[in-house]
Amino acid sequence: MRHGVRTIKSKFNIWAILSLIFIAIILIPNGLIAVNVFTESNENWQHIKEYLLKEYITNTVILISFTALFSMMIGVSLAWFVTMFEFPFRRFFKWALILPLAIPPYIGAYAYHGLINYTGIIQSKLRNDFDVTVNQDYFSIMNNQGAIFIFSIFLFPYVYTITKAFLQNQSSSIIENARLLGSSSFETFFRVILPISRAAIVGSVTLVVLEVLNDYGVANYFGIQTFSTAIFRTWYGMKDLDSALKLAGALMFLVIFILVLEKVSRGRRRFSFSTTKVRPIQPKKLKGVKAWLLAGYCFTVFGVAFLIPFTQLLYWAFLTFESVFSSEFIQLIYQSVFIASIASILIVIIALIIGNYTRLHKSLLTSLISRVTTLGYSIPGAAIAISIITIFVALDGYLADLYRTLQIEPVIILRTSLVMLVSAYIIRFLAIGYNAVDAGYEKMGNTFTEASRTLGFSTVKTFFKVDLPMMKPAIFGGFILVFIDVLKELPLTLFLQPFNFATLATQAYKYANDERVHEAALASILIIIVSGIFIFVSHKLLEKEPA
Amino acid sequence: MFVQIKNLQYQYKNSTEPVLKDFSLSIEQGEIITILGESGSGKSTILRLLSGLETPKSGSITINNHLIFSGHHVMPPEKRNVGMVFQDYALFPHMTVEKNIKYGLKKMNRREKQKRMEEMLELINMTNYKNRYPYELSGGQQQRVALARALAPAPSLLIFDEPFSNLDANLQIKIRDELRGILKKTGITSIFVTHDQADAQAIADRVVFIEKGVIKQVGKPEEVLGCASLVMWANS
Repeated sequence: MRHGVRTIKSKFNIWAILSLIFIAIILIPNGLIAVNVFTESNENWQHIKEYLLKEYITNTVILISFTALFSMMIGVSLAWFVTMFEFPFRRFFKWALILPLAIPPYIGAYAYHGLINYTGIIQSKLRNDFDVTVNQDYFSIMNNQGAIFIFSIFLFPYVYTITKAFLQNQSSSIIENARLLGSSSFETFFRVILPISRAAIVGSVTLVVLEVLNDYGVANYFGIQTFSTAIFRTWYGMKDLDSALKLAGALMFLVIFILVLEKVSRGRRRFSFSTTKVRPIQPKKLKGVKAWLLAGYCFTVFGVAFLIPFTQLLYWAFLTFESVFSSEFIQLIYQSVFIASIASILIVIIALIIGNYTRLHKSLLTSLISRVTTLGYSIPGAAIAISIITIFVALDGYLADLYRTLQIEPVIILRTSLVMLVSAYIIRFLAIGYNAVDAGYEKMGNTFTEASRTLGFSTVKTFFKVDLPMMKPAIFGGFILVFIDVLKELPLTLFLQPFNFATLATQAYKYANDERVHEAALASILIIIVSGIFIFVSHKLLEKEPA
Repeated sequence: MFVQIKNLQYQYKNSTEPVLKDFSLSIEQGEIITILGESGSGKSTILRLLSGLETPKSGSITINNHLIFSGHHVMPPEKRNVGMVFQDYALFPHMTVEKNIKYGLKKMNRREKQKRMEEMLELINMTNYKNRYPYELSGGQQQRVALARALAPAPSLLIFDEPFSNLDANLQIKIRDELRGILKKTGITSIFVTHDQADAQAIADRVVFIEKGVIKQVGKPEEVLGCASLVMWANS
């Protein structure tokens, strides 16, 4: 008993207190959604349940199922080809095929819609140069199929990168054995590679599904009713926070169902080696038609998923540069960088604190804290937005008397401040910062900290003198990853940004929704270039790192 | 007695068996003790309990008449004045040799720190290396700097966790002779943990042989090592 009390006392330090506060910040909005599911419903909810919910569920399930299927087919096939075979431009495609990740799907949607609609370059060319007028039904992508196409081509890199990394760590003896046992390349792929990569594929496809569930931009632009669009419509159109929260609850159940499904389908088998002396897979050199077919396939995917939309956006950006680039646009860049920097710095600081606590005190509580920290990324932006706004409205309500005493008008300070938006970013993106920081702590180990403590320094002083300087690369990495994600983020920013505040992402959205897709290009291209540079640099850094 | 360890008990969270059972040991001032045992015998755990990096379930530890642990009193590692040389040295990679050695001298003024650092460098025979970073040193040099860093704040007790395991055989013999010389010169009380009987013989005044967390024999190296080698051979 005495030992237990002493252990609690020694572990309940400043790191524990701060970590628990941060965890509460993440849990409260989620708890609010969960609780609201069981509260009494109003008429709107009855109406939604009776007439609309089925459509939301059907559309959402169609989008996630087909996107999962196509992104898996593209991602796994590319990962397999790039790892197993040597063909022209393989080294280029190895990293170039990650680049579509730099294009947020909603921007890809603007580009493709602009490209193939009636006034787009394809139809104009056909009409003007070849006198061909096409049936608009075949040239519309503003439907479920179009959205599936957009999601698949811009999200497949999740599957590609994770599966490729997994395959690169496999031993060549597995493939060689399959060959010796009489399997062709084709058979080896289906009978050996696919089963052993199952966990990596399932994990990466789950990320794609979560991204689709998080999407608001594509679905709204294409006029598709999904959970995300419905939440915002109920909230803004019907002014019904309660029903919006109930929809968020239903969406959360879908997320939980998917995460459970992932856990189950990963299987119990673990495919790792007990020795580090694994001979990596050596790509087989292909010649002639086969080699060029693979290069052609890679080029087609790269072209469709990056080159075409990027070139189109670049062209529009040049066309509209003079009218769009103004002092307001510079202000927009400043605001985007400012909010992304603030959120990234805060997220990295919180990740450092929680990471330091969980690594120094291994227990059930700390492993639970670790899990909760990564929870936010699974929750779609629409659900986070609705719960955050509910909390901030309530907070402003509680503080109204204080505002009046201090003679502050109007009495809705928190709800109209950047604090609300930054809080939402923290909940959504803490997992990204935490994973980067946690990997850094793991790499550093505990002995430097322990050495410092035996030399007379407390954990806090050790943190500043030893841990922090040694963690610089991980901190930088985490900051960059969060920064890019915040820069690209749409639903949270769109619905939680204060008046007179906009970012590149929301401005691009606004232009595109006003049917001014050309004007949306400059903001879009900036987001893509910044993201692309960071993706390229981090890929190069990862390549250099010894296996 | 300078160091008094009484009835120490320790058990890892996920284990059913305690790692240490009623471990008691007394050490005189200036004595060099080697704790000898196989992997998993609990020898490194003793060092972590002495330094405060882990907390025992029960028992007590007194160093130089200061109670550093008892059932209701846990002194944190930074207040124990116990120096530790880690198996992988744990030299801070972002600091030079000079900064590493000065790190623990926080109570001294700048001049005192400089003087102490130079004394330490002289002691380990590395006066020309103060501006080097750890990665610019050989394994043996890193180990000597780790020793200097641990010695610099003049700890009451110095503990070593398998200090020779990362060195090649020739260097190992040279360093351990050198180390014994330095420790005897400074007169510091030290505890070594090792699984190597040759290390234990070369460096210790007294050897403590433990098995499964229980002391099997304590005595002069020549008394203990015969029994220890028989047991370790039987278990191998």
